[in-house]
Amino acid sequence: MFLVMINGKDHECSGGTILEALRALDIQVPTLCHDPRILPTGACRLCSVEIEGQERLVASCTTPVAQGMRIWTHSEKVEADRRTNLTLLARNYPAEECYDEHLEFHRYLRQYGIDLTRVGRIFKLAPATDEPRFTDFDHPYLRVDMDKCVHCYRCIRICNEVQGQFVWRAWNRGDRTEIRPDTGGPLLDSSCVSCGACADTCPSGAITDRLVVEKGAPTEWTRTTCAYCGTGCEMLVGTRGGEVIVAKPLLDAPVNKGHLCVKGRYAHRFAHAKDRITQPMIRRDGEWHEVSWPEVYLYIADRLHAILAESGPSAVGVLGSARATNEENYLAQKFARVVLGSNNIDCCARVCHAPSAAALKATLGTGAATNSFNDIEIAQGFLVAGANPTENHPIVGARIKQQVLKGAKLVVVDPRRTELARFADVHLQIRPGTNVPTFHAIAHALIESGAVDEEFIRERTDDFEGFRDFIRNWTPERVAPIAGVTAEDIRKAAAVYASVKPAMIFHGLGMTEHTQGTEGVQCLVNLALLTGNLGKPGSGENPLRGQNNVQGSAHMGCEPSNLAGYTPISQVADLVEKIWKAPVPREQGLTWMKMLDAASEGSLRALYAIGYDVYFSNPRSDETKKALEKLELVIVQDLFLNETAKAVGHVFLPACSSYEKDGTFMNSERRVQRVRQCIPLVGDSKSDWVILKELAATMGFKDAFDFDSPEAIWNEVRQVWKAGAGISYERIEHNGLQWPCLDEEHPGTTILHAKQFPIGVRANFSKIDYLPTPEVTTDEYPFILNTGRTLAQFNAGTMSMRTGNARIRPTDLLEMHPCDAMLLQIHDHEKVRITSRYGTAEIPVQLTDKVRRGELFATFHDPKVFTNRVTGGQRDRVVGSPEYKVTAVRVERLEQAAPAISKP
Amino acid sequence: MKPALTGREVDSFYHLSDVPMDHRCCRGTSCFAAKHLDGATWRKALEQSPPVYCLGKCYASPSTTETTGDPPVQFACSDPIVLAGVDAFDQQSLEGYCRHGGYSALEKARASAPEKTVAEVELSQLRGRGGAGFPAGRKWRSVFCESAVTKYVVANADEGDHGTYIDRFIMERVPHRLIEALALAGHAVGARKGYIYLRKEYPVAEAAVRKAMGEAESVLAGFEIELIIGQGSYVCGEETSLLNSIEHRRPEVRARPPYPTAHGLFNMPTLVNNVETLASIPWIVLHNGAAYAARGFSRSRGTKAVSLNSLFKRPGLYELEFGVPLRYILEELGGGLVSGDFKAAIVGGPLAGLIHPSEFDVPFGFEEMAAIGGAMGHGGIVAFDSNTRMLELLAHIFDFGAIESCGKCTPCRHGTRRAQQLFATAAYERHLSDEESRELRSILNALARTSLCGHGTGLAVFAESIFEKFAEEVAPCFS
Repeated sequence: MFLVMINGKDHECSGGTILEALRALDIQVPTLCHDPRILPTGACRLCSVEIEGQERLVASCTTPVAQGMRIWTHSEKVEADRRTNLTLLARNYPAEECYDEHLEFHRYLRQYGIDLTRVGRIFKLAPATDEPRFTDFDHPYLRVDMDKCVHCYRCIRICNEVQGQFVWRAWNRGDRTEIRPDTGGPLLDSSCVSCGACADTCPSGAITDRLVVEKGAPTEWTRTTCAYCGTGCEMLVGTRGGEVIVAKPLLDAPVNKGHLCVKGRYAHRFAHAKDRITQPMIRRDGEWHEVSWPEVYLYIADRLHAILAESGPSAVGVLGSARATNEENYLAQKFARVVLGSNNIDCCARVCHAPSAAALKATLGTGAATNSFNDIEIAQGFLVAGANPTENHPIVGARIKQQVLKGAKLVVVDPRRTELARFADVHLQIRPGTNVPTFHAIAHALIESGAVDEEFIRERTDDFEGFRDFIRNWTPERVAPIAGVTAEDIRKAAAVYASVKPAMIFHGLGMTEHTQGTEGVQCLVNLALLTGNLGKPGSGENPLRGQNNVQGSAHMGCEPSNLAGYTPISQVADLVEKIWKAPVPREQGLTWMKMLDAASEGSLRALYAIGYDVYFSNPRSDETKKALEKLELVIVQDLFLNETAKAVGHVFLPACSSYEKDGTFMNSERRVQRVRQCIPLVGDSKSDWVILKELAATMGFKDAFDFDSPEAIWNEVRQVWKAGAGISYERIEHNGLQWPCLDEEHPGTTILHAKQFPIGVRANFSKIDYLPTPEVTTDEYPFILNTGRTLAQFNAGTMSMRTGNARIRPTDLLEMHPCDAMLLQIHDHEKVRITSRYGTAEIPVQLTDKVRRGELFATFHDPKVFTNRVTGGQRDRVVGSPEYKVTAVRVERLEQAAPAISKP
Repeated sequence: MKPALTGREVDSFYHLSDVPMDHRCCRGTSCFAAKHLDGATWRKALEQSPPVYCLGKCYASPSTTETTGDPPVQFACSDPIVLAGVDAFDQQSLEGYCRHGGYSALEKARASAPEKTVAEVELSQLRGRGGAGFPAGRKWRSVFCESAVTKYVVANADEGDHGTYIDRFIMERVPHRLIEALALAGHAVGARKGYIYLRKEYPVAEAAVRKAMGEAESVLAGFEIELIIGQGSYVCGEETSLLNSIEHRRPEVRARPPYPTAHGLFNMPTLVNNVETLASIPWIVLHNGAAYAARGFSRSRGTKAVSLNSLFKRPGLYELEFGVPLRYILEELGGGLVSGDFKAAIVGGPLAGLIHPSEFDVPFGFEEMAAIGGAMGHGGIVAFDSNTRMLELLAHIFDFGAIESCGKCTPCRHGTRRAQQLFATAAYERHLSDEESRELRSILNALARTSLCGHGTGLAVFAESIFEKFAEEVAPCFS
């Protein structure tokens, strides 16, 4: 503690800078270049204070507090210099600007009585060029007018220090200094990722949110959780007149700490899209007819009752939604089990991270990430496998990137040269489908070089000798030709991963969407076990879950074999039956992929798909459609008439967006966070939980679904799921809690397996044989197609395609190596036909050396392209997830190929 | 690993990136002081854009890149140290330098432990000749004590202070002394690599150093030297800006601490000394630190080179021992001004107070100069005669200040330019109004008290010294 005198009064402060001390004491000094998210720079000088005994003033933001300091924050000198510096800034600022209370600069001008219209402009034009200063009014979200720049450099610094994108650059010097994007030109041509951090921090209106300019500043702000990826960023959603305008990151959010990405911050307008359906509909004779809610409930009840009566519960299936809340998914599985009496309940985890959950459950005992995002800043090294976090989990990506820029080691294993791969110490650009041998070879190299944690192996693992014998044959030399990388690089990857402690593993769908998806993840767990990177801060094996609540939807029991808590039915059915006061079916339910097989065979007759465009997102779309067409009843519950509804839907139930309801989401790191209603329900739409409750009541199960709020549902979840019992709404009013959280006193669990695994003190290594995917190239199908997401779009595009993101990324693209394109005489941005053994699609080409020769990468967000017509026929051998990542295809120019279009 | 984070925008910081060093007229303060001698050249200097500030030909001001001729080099002390050999042309080559005992200091130092050299530099009481006068030994010891494997030594040859051409001629005439000294520094503090950061305005020095670097490879025994040519920026003479510039970052001043001795070039411990400081090192190693400390006076030990501008009867380079009165330098060595009486003098660049003739009896030393509001600086002296009007001088210096401001902090970015406008108005158009006078006063206050680095502060100190010492001349212009 330091004793200091501030403005004549004695204070104790705990150190740090003078500014931090002043803020802690609620003594206000103006600052323009300060933002707690970035390092202090001492440029604006407004925070300068007088220290007795020092002739010059000192910038409080960069000067540390010292014992006995006598500080004057508003002495005559200090205030005079503040007014002078503010006046100098005002004289370089457009005089016609109206007062905007949201801008710090405007507030200070008013506070110091400086009138823009009276101070007089010194320079009108950029003095270096005599041209107007940089403006960009063409970006869908950002509006730039550097005439209003006050040179605080916050845009540059937040772009560098938080996002790690280095877009904003200072050009020229002195009073000719101008801030422009890296290319010097418009933002859309720059390396900008539209995260909006610069607009968020700009104090003078030079960079602002375009939507705020066009629609007016939000009048209300509601704290909620983002509805895009599984990172789970908390944010304030700004609304005005019942419309979502923009979101603001929360500084105290543990996951995103004051940062958001282009989706979370800006891509909200889908809630107000013109084609949103807000009235229930029934299709008769091929035409959709609007009906009332009671009517639609009765219609569904009749049809389901009839099918159940004829064919029994095995003929119906329900799909929960990764977009819906935990409460709604819990109700969905309860609906399937109690109302329909069926375990045919699944969710989209089946097509993404079911292998992760299964592998982690099998090897370590808990089917979820072992550590937390806050471990990123502790980790000294990262192994990122089959994940592209800077695009698909942008906040996690940015945090990893910052840690790497600060010196942490990075190994990337990915068939593509992703953005993180450019920052990596080693990038193993392996062939798709060779995860298992690659990680075996890394394990081999770790053991061979002695880079293992012997103490951890002794204390926390079993049968290391058996594993060592098993792995002996998996030499890097043997794997190198299989994976298409050098043995030297494999050894280097092992050495780098083991060279620092702790080291964290992150993996994505590049690990799971394979025939050996589950097994690949088990191999990754081997590496963490070998190096002792489990149960410690900054370590672990962490799946990056794809969607906001995909962890939650499966965890709430939208799983044919498991009830809430990812617990096998046999283990908890008795308890659950007591709470439900209804029997829990014991028959083995069907996974989503098996449901589809059953539909194809005619044994499944009805499907209720909540917030899940199955036709568009399933692989082998043509086969999927054929199977779906056989169903007698397809109920689609969504915001939009999605591809499934359009193609095979019989009933449409208009649900609402997550801005229109309350509940909770569960992110990738097991954190349960609140979702709050920000705007009124649009039209006659309803929350999923209300629809489920009312439909259940119509079908005769009023009592079992008699919840008056999401919180009431959640309180039942807490009874059913022991590890979540301590997570009450009251406790997660701020910041959420990570399970296991056994009771209301429990602080939640940031790191799993610290002392022991749920399966015991020791874990086993997985000895897995390599069974290559049968999906191989031939002369007819010479390319391997890999698929995945891109930054500005999200999954089925249902949300993101209906926002300004469509301007940033208008359609899907097929990444192709320029050499391959040259041989096929394909030009950049030319539309081509890709054909696999399963189907065909037309898609524009993007030439890039991010992919290796002979490999292609396509996104799958645009129904006009329908990439999944082409994708994989294979499934994971353990949990049946489709192999989206490996499909043999050929590429052809279109018959009457239009001349190549140059990039717009 | 870390992708390049900078590009063309960093180049745009510098004003001479794309400017060839020919047919440029100097806009430096020495040429300003002598503008009445050749009005046409000065007018051209004002018209040319971008400007070139100080070509180091102040002995022949107003000068251009084409100005030829050499300054007289004279010794006002026995056994000169830094200028020894600068008066002739026989030590430019490795062979010539060695004939005069060159590289024997390096040989001697390498024969004993590195710390011995550090200790000798400490004993010598040598202080940095670049302006701040920081004890060189303390810097050397700090870097020596750092445990990092990679360390750097950097020669600051960005001699940008107007009126100074000392380093220029050391490099042109005895370039190996700099190279030997840099290698000595590397040996002493444990650095394997050295940088020489040389301004673009000195093309002859560049050629001489480059040639010498090639010749010296054999004697450096693995010590590597890289020559970086500045692209036109006065602030790069400040050591942290200079380090940023070498790293190809925007050369703004870094906040200190941390100091470069711990976190310098590429974040590694780095010793930065200017050319003249380094040029003393071989002598100190050969003669020992105590012998050096025996010379000079007070807390300013050893010898100092000074350079006199073209208005003197005997302009040129002089090496002398500290402690002589400033008047001795101006009147005895320089012989007074050609045109008669002194009006004022700048010592060590424009970022300090102007010296009034009534103060010329001050002993020449760091603390002594500071006591009268002046500075030792680089040792460049620009004297003014009655042709210089103080308001014009203020407008000139503030124009330089605004053009060379890095622009990071508010008062310097906008305040120097605004002050220049007001000084120019007062100098060339009319008296300032009450409001303008108050504005000017408040800007100077803010510059003095809230600037991020010495650039803004020094400019304010300069202006204040004129207001104080030449009140009669300037006061009537401000109502």
